[in-house]
Amino acid sequence: MKKKTKMSKITKVNLIILSILFIFSMIPLIMTFMTAVIPEGDLFNITKEKTLLDFELSKFFLKTKMKTIGTFDYDIFEENDKKFITVDIKEKNTGISSFARDLDINYLRHFELEINPNKKLNNILIGLKDIDGKYQIVSYKINTKPNEWQKVKLELNPEDFGEVDTKHTAEIQVLFDEKIKVSMDNVILKYKFPTFMNFKTVWEENDFGRYMLNSTIISISVVLGNLIFCSLVAYPFARKDFKGKEILFMIVLATYMIPPQIKVIPIFILMQKLNWIDTYQALIMPTLVTPFGIFLMRQYFEQLPRELDQAAYVDGANDFQIFTKVIMPLSGPALAVLGINSFIASWNDLYMPLVLTTSKEMRTVQVGLAMFQKINGVKWPLIMAASAIVGIPVIIAFLFFQKKIIAGITDGALKG
Amino acid sequence: MLSKTKKRWSIFLFLSPWIISFLVFELYPLIFSVYISFTEYSGLNPQKIFVGFSNYIKAFSDEVFLIALRNTFIFVILTIPFTIGIALILAILLNNKNLPGRNFFKAGFFLPSVISMVVISMMWLYLYSADGLFIKLGTMMGFDLPARSFLASPDSALMSIMFMDVWAAFGYYVIFIFAGLQNIPEALYEAARIDGASSWKIATKVTLPMIKPTLFFVISINTIRSFQIFSEIYTMTGGGPRNSTQTIVHYLYEVSFKKFQLGYGSAISYILFIIIMIFTIIQKRALRSDY
Repeated sequence: MKKKTKMSKITKVNLIILSILFIFSMIPLIMTFMTAVIPEGDLFNITKEKTLLDFELSKFFLKTKMKTIGTFDYDIFEENDKKFITVDIKEKNTGISSFARDLDINYLRHFELEINPNKKLNNILIGLKDIDGKYQIVSYKINTKPNEWQKVKLELNPEDFGEVDTKHTAEIQVLFDEKIKVSMDNVILKYKFPTFMNFKTVWEENDFGRYMLNSTIISISVVLGNLIFCSLVAYPFARKDFKGKEILFMIVLATYMIPPQIKVIPIFILMQKLNWIDTYQALIMPTLVTPFGIFLMRQYFEQLPRELDQAAYVDGANDFQIFTKVIMPLSGPALAVLGINSFIASWNDLYMPLVLTTSKEMRTVQVGLAMFQKINGVKWPLIMAASAIVGIPVIIAFLFFQKKIIAGITDGALKG
Repeated sequence: MLSKTKKRWSIFLFLSPWIISFLVFELYPLIFSVYISFTEYSGLNPQKIFVGFSNYIKAFSDEVFLIALRNTFIFVILTIPFTIGIALILAILLNNKNLPGRNFFKAGFFLPSVISMVVISMMWLYLYSADGLFIKLGTMMGFDLPARSFLASPDSALMSIMFMDVWAAFGYYVIFIFAGLQNIPEALYEAARIDGASSWKIATKVTLPMIKPTLFFVISINTIRSFQIFSEIYTMTGGGPRNSTQTIVHYLYEVSFKKFQLGYGSAISYILFIIIMIFTIIQKRALRSDY
């Protein structure tokens, strides 16, 4: 009894140490996903709202942030410590315009401003102008009381603005369609949080969709190639006797040991001569048959019972038939290990795609991500969303095929 | 007789994918890069001028290459004890049948090893940045830290990348060492316990000698991988600031594919190959002398 409590004490200490290191392992991953859903700013300084206009600024500075539309008749007033703008609306579509620079409307939960009309106001018009100058006005019904400051919240639906590129809005205009004298203050953008827009932006605007396609094509081809070719090559190594078998297999193992960097320059020159730079085949061909795969499949084939081939041989099957009808159908587990491990290796490779691609269209996700950060500097939410997109396929693969992946690294390792 | 040649044919057909791939993507590159390492060859100009050993001599008088060499050795020598040390401790802790959630921990530690180095570099670029966790926490705790990334200073950049690499790598080796520990027969522990050995004695006299081959193996693959670090350098610092994170493979990349000095690049790649060979042989010897 006494011994048992002592054991559990040790277990408890183990558990604490393991948990601390586990958290240490997870923190960067968790922070990545948390930062990816932030609209703007960073994890310690999340921008949930941004003031587009308040009127505390001097008129000179104000002019760099806004202009009036349809009239020049406006004034800045100050009342009870509150500075605001008053515009005299005499005709339709008159109001103020705020320079949004390069604002993505899709990130907004709503658009908010304080308003004080001198009579009841039923409609407020929002005009958006994108960086190409395309322009659209949408009317919103509002319910306001006259001569009173009140907050107006508008949900801007990007689809209502038709042709306008709402991802790159240059101006947001607040306009009116009745004769009215209206005061306005605190024009505020409220952001969605958490938001999945970063993923969409990265995917659509920054070519990550294309990178994913490239990486998928390359990885799937490499996986299929490895499954077929490594099995083919492993078959005689495991099941046949022929002259030079030992030496050939030693060569296979030796190529495992050669640092890949040494082969890159000649492969680059070869691809240049073949005119294959910037093509899928340049990235697929060199990894179609890997020593890792041959080794793994040979080990598996060797422990399948010999009687199977002999029975098939007696029935008149040739080697190819034995391979396809007898050996391969039994090799599911080993093929799964090989498939998932070649997928991860191919997906994660940076060096070869970096050297063998030159155009943006042919980049793989790893090259795309590395380049993306070099351009975007410290836009952490976007960079983390891009990192998450690149990381998610392997994380999902890991969650599903954890045992196969681990089996691959322990079985495929050449001990000693 | 006919059937024998037929049999040979079929074996040849089975092996042909590897034979083609070996000739084109292994043997040819290996030989061709020796050849161009003795020439002055720029990818832009097809003229190859034979220069003998001068590319190799050039490397050892090239200041940046020597810095890269030094940084790579620092990296290898300082990260391996931590990576393997942490992995060993964790594997021993996990090797306890009463421990709840063993597979969960194992999977969690292993997860970073399946994520690409580029993604991991991005995560840590953020953690190390002026807006990142370390500086924010440090400032909160009252340290007077400059508001700039750890990677921006030549004094801390290499150390920061090494710390990240230990984080990224140890889980991979936990798997190997754990598998090694599982292979130790239970009977050995029982015999030791019957003889009245303390748990410290058991750890040092039974466990450690039994997993020594695994440890050597793990150290040697970690050494080879550490000599080849590239992705993290390329994405995080580009070798800077002031070459403080320049490594052999990153310099090899810069020489070959930015300056297109393919002859010199090949010489550097062979120097790397030779260094790795020497290390592998030393480690093999060390292993053999013990058994």
